[in-house]
Amino acid sequence: MTENPAGDGTDSKRMLGRMGLSALALGAISAVGTKTAEAATAATYADADILNFALNLEYLEAEYYLRAVTGSGLTSSMTGVSSNQVIAPTTTLVPFQNTAIAYWAQRIANDELTHVNFLRLGLGSAAVPEPTIDLVNSFTTLAVAAGLIPAGQTFNPFESEINFLIGAYIFEDVGVTAYAGAANKLTMAANISYSASILAVEAEHAGCIRSYLAGQGGGKVTNAISALRQKLSGVTDKGTDLSGETPPGNPFNFANTDYNGQVYRRTPAEVLNVVFGKPGTGVTKGLFFPNGVSGYFATS
Amino acid sequence: MLSNPFTKILQEGVDRRRFLRRAGGIGAATMLSGIAGNALTSTPARAASTLTDADIFNFALNFEYLGSQYYLAALGTSLPASLTGTNPGKVVKAANTAVPFTDSPTGYFAQQLANDEVGHVSVIREVLGSSAIAQPEIDLQNSWTSLAMAAGLIVPGQTFNPFASEIDFLLGAYVLEDVCVTALTGAAHLISSPTNLAYAASILGTEGYQVGMIRSQLSAYGAGSVTDAISNLRSKLTNAINPTAGVDDNGTDYTNTAGGRNPYNFTNVDVNAQAFRRTPQEVLAIAYGGGTTGGGFFPSGVNGTVKSA
Repeated sequence: MTENPAGDGTDSKRMLGRMGLSALALGAISAVGTKTAEAATAATYADADILNFALNLEYLEAEYYLRAVTGSGLTSSMTGVSSNQVIAPTTTLVPFQNTAIAYWAQRIANDELTHVNFLRLGLGSAAVPEPTIDLVNSFTTLAVAAGLIPAGQTFNPFESEINFLIGAYIFEDVGVTAYAGAANKLTMAANISYSASILAVEAEHAGCIRSYLAGQGGGKVTNAISALRQKLSGVTDKGTDLSGETPPGNPFNFANTDYNGQVYRRTPAEVLNVVFGKPGTGVTKGLFFPNGVSGYFATS
Repeated sequence: MLSNPFTKILQEGVDRRRFLRRAGGIGAATMLSGIAGNALTSTPARAASTLTDADIFNFALNFEYLGSQYYLAALGTSLPASLTGTNPGKVVKAANTAVPFTDSPTGYFAQQLANDEVGHVSVIREVLGSSAIAQPEIDLQNSWTSLAMAAGLIVPGQTFNPFASEIDFLLGAYVLEDVCVTALTGAAHLISSPTNLAYAASILGTEGYQVGMIRSQLSAYGAGSVTDAISNLRSKLTNAINPTAGVDDNGTDYTNTAGGRNPYNFTNVDVNAQAFRRTPQEVLAIAYGGGTTGGGFFPSGVNGTVKSA
């Protein structure tokens, strides 16, 4: 333990370097108050398309957390489909040992369930139905790809509370980058507000999960997952142990942020690369969504 | 194996029935009472505002100065003159503010908080260029004691020093970060440039990460009643200037209207699982500790266009 973390010569160097802020890092920022070429007027999609894209992700998260906490997922009245479209293990109730983690899981399940209901009510008849979701093969495929397990083994996120948190780690950072990336593609004031508030919640989830995993020595595992997400999407993604970076970074990195304290942003296509488990353009399905997602943003 | 920061957790049983009751209580009609049907597709375009993007970023910059100075003080340092502008206000603080971190993760968490906040100051100042406001006067000493008194956490004659221990440090961070989230969620829809909105969203995301870490850690340390008291105070200060705001802040030991209790409530959200949103005036009411033009963390008020609660 270091008594004065600022004085350990690692991150403090980094901080001091930043205090002399290079113009390079900020080259992309345009003047405040001016409309840019990014203006939403050129868009061929509507707010509902963005929110429906988000709804696909909320379905995925809600199915995962509800199963972990209650043993069952969304009811048909909340999905827009009559028959079960979720591939999940028979037993999904996580055997929580730690009271805090159990309640955190409840909190997340409540939040994600509510996001589904909120978006569906807001979208009304325009809401997309829940696509087929895979919570079995997806995790094992991803764990093998990340090098966490050798081929032939399985990774079941419902098996233990640590596995559950690792599964949550996979989702939450992606949700943050998706909402952060979508914020400026929305046009209606109310939708920007709702989306901002949901973004904050997803980040709160991610901050909880990352700080706990970091404290438990989950650096290697989270680094491997982040590296895979980065490889799939082409968007920078940082795990919780940055001590291997040059210069060495924070070994308990609870926020997935760049040098300027900004969370990374992903376009819908880049988000799809992660949840479909395949890089590049033209990908229409895979991993968590074996039959693809519903709505305007369905292809990477 | 790294040290476990959760040594104080009571290993009590999980009440799944409680959750089920709660989940069952989320009827769509009740849960979504905050929004009109189809609001997501029928709301008018962005609200007209007399505030420019620069006004909003400058407003946020006051709070990034505050956050940076707090976290850097905890690490025994402060913002360099190159990042505080021309004729910056002074920072009132005790002689020794370096927190005696005893738990490895928390010390590093503090470091990241500082890094990210300094990054925000840097980015916002760079974006604003010559229109960036200077740092206002910041009080990191008397403010805490006044606030703790108002929250009922201490009695007259006592002091609250957030630099005394790592738990106190996390409580100080709790005071600040939830407010920063509500400030940014509340201001997002006022930003007109898509590029600026992207940057604001990315800063908001970071503040959310910070809140998630702080609240989850504090809840695991059993700080529920303390965080509840702070949240109640913030809600009270908001309602003092906007009586229609209602409860807009929940602590980490939370019981909902249906009686469902989560003593490890690490997200600060409304019934729609949305992070609360505050207007700049509501945010100032909290930061000023109930003052109108200054007080609390900003004894002489903040700088910029939006200055009064």
